[in-house]
Amino acid sequence: MSPPLEARVEARLDEIGTAELLVGIPSYNNARTIGHVVRAAASGLAKHFPDCRAVIVNSDGGSTDGTQELVASVNAATPRAILVRHPLTTAHKIITPYHGVPGKGSAFRTIFAIAKRLGVRACAVVDSDLRSISPAWIELLLGPVVHEGFDYVAPLYLRHKYDGTITNSIVYPLTRALYGREVRQPIGGDFGFSGRLAAHYLDREVWDSDVARFGIDIWMTTTALADGFEVCESFLGAKIHDPKDPGSDLAGMFVQVVSSVFDLMHVYRDRWEGVASAQKVPLFGFPHGVGLEPVSVDVERMISIFRQATRDLREVWEAALLPSDLSEVVALSAADPFRFPDPLWVRVVYGFAAAYEHVRLPREQLLRSLVPLYLGRTASFVLETRTCGAEEVEQRIHALADEYVAQKPHLRERWRG
Amino acid sequence: MWKDMLADVIGQTLEGFRQEFAEFGPRLLAMTIVLVAGVVFAALLRLVLRALLRRLGFDRFAERAGLPHALGKFGFTGQASGAVAAVTAFVVLAFFVLLALGSLDPLFARELVSRALAYLPQVLVAAALIALGAIVAGFVRRGVLIAAVNRGLPSARLLAGFAQSALLILFAAMALEHLGVGRQIILVSFTILFGGVVFALSLAFGLAGRDLARELLERLARKGEEPREDPLRHI
Repeated sequence: MSPPLEARVEARLDEIGTAELLVGIPSYNNARTIGHVVRAAASGLAKHFPDCRAVIVNSDGGSTDGTQELVASVNAATPRAILVRHPLTTAHKIITPYHGVPGKGSAFRTIFAIAKRLGVRACAVVDSDLRSISPAWIELLLGPVVHEGFDYVAPLYLRHKYDGTITNSIVYPLTRALYGREVRQPIGGDFGFSGRLAAHYLDREVWDSDVARFGIDIWMTTTALADGFEVCESFLGAKIHDPKDPGSDLAGMFVQVVSSVFDLMHVYRDRWEGVASAQKVPLFGFPHGVGLEPVSVDVERMISIFRQATRDLREVWEAALLPSDLSEVVALSAADPFRFPDPLWVRVVYGFAAAYEHVRLPREQLLRSLVPLYLGRTASFVLETRTCGAEEVEQRIHALADEYVAQKPHLRERWRG
Repeated sequence: MWKDMLADVIGQTLEGFRQEFAEFGPRLLAMTIVLVAGVVFAALLRLVLRALLRRLGFDRFAERAGLPHALGKFGFTGQASGAVAAVTAFVVLAFFVLLALGSLDPLFARELVSRALAYLPQVLVAAALIALGAIVAGFVRRGVLIAAVNRGLPSARLLAGFAQSALLILFAAMALEHLGVGRQIILVSFTILFGGVVFALSLAFGLAGRDLARELLERLARKGEEPREDPLRHI
């Protein structure tokens, strides 16, 4: 069901009538960066899709820093200087507050509703805190849908070898093993999708759940994969954000991401149970290397938290791990050099997924107790790959993903309880 | 003559004893039968209830709620289903004891039963408070333990144990207050105990946790500063 729209927005939609392309930008207090994002989107539309009627939708969560005013003031047809040729039509802008549960998902729901209402062929959504977005991103996210008939375009970013460790150690390999398609950044944040898929998303009854609050990225990717839509990837280059609030804690973020993946495992159990292998999806764009800032990692602190957890959290882990796995995990704390082997890590994740499914402990506590194990695994990964180049690290991540596939029978067994 | 008198006294005594025994004997027998029946019934009930609770997955529920750990604080070990079955069997046995006493003196027993029944709602509410307290305390203990470990606090178990104990004491005090057992004494004892624990912890924190206190204060002071990025981006 479509969310209610303000009369002002309804009137604007009536005025526009129909459109072929839509770029959605969810926002909340992003005045520092959203002007650049809107300009990049408008330039991308004008440069790469000059003959198409396009709209840019800013779905705002009630910003108080002038985000909406800033979007309104940006001329959507500029900068003309960089255009190959002048667009036949200017990109319309729609600025709308979203309704419902506060969160990125609700912002996306409004974007899907507007896409359906305007009958668009292809949509792209981009984060409003991006510093690295360029007009080319719009072509890379919309092009595969418009020109090649794909339904979903996942982003592929160039990242530092230690960037995205939750993605690398859990979300990517688990999604790949479950649904049999290799999407390297399932929770990237910037996506392209067809109007058909937008309507499909809109019809799903998830808009009062956590999907509306924080799980929209993995939900979109998983829904596209599990419901049989044509999926591809586009290489976007480096992704640079506005700095985040340092007060946002790792455990909270970890619980949000992992609970979203585990919740979807429950929903799509019938789809993933029979999958036994994984294939690559088509890749668009031109993968290349650029210089990335070095990342400093406090490995000692991670190991220290892991070691303390092996002493203090055994009684909690018993709810998720097999006795043999628990013994192995506890033994790691004395290992020198410190190493967390791939097969054990995969069994840990599968054990927690099954415990989450069977609610063996309150779910939030269960997932929070997984954080020290994740830190141990991350520390081990950093120590193992200290001298490795990006390509070698990628091979290690790929090997871990294969281990997830190989141990899927173990997941099925644990899942049945 | 004195021989006749002696025989008469002994005869009367024996007759009296016989009469009293004839009157009391069946009551004693009835009491014994009721007691034995009560013991057997309570034992059977305990077995059946334990098996039923296990079958219904009560132990898993209790584990999830942190009940076994809280029961451990009261000296209960083993599974929660066993503890619940034992308490229920004990209550049933207590009623059989009342019934058995009624066999000896119906008036006394009736009064005892009516008093017990009048007190029963308070006992049930107190029991519910204890059970709720055990569940809440277990949940909080686990939450504090996990959060403290994730923060890297070395005294995670101590903090978690303190949170659990404080809640158990609070709920136990509420239960005793509800039962009307030494209200003033409980209130005063609780205040002294709680105040003492808080004071002891403050001292311990001040003396042993200076680094932690400094870190917390520094973190508070940094709140107003420009946001700094976490060097490791996890997603």
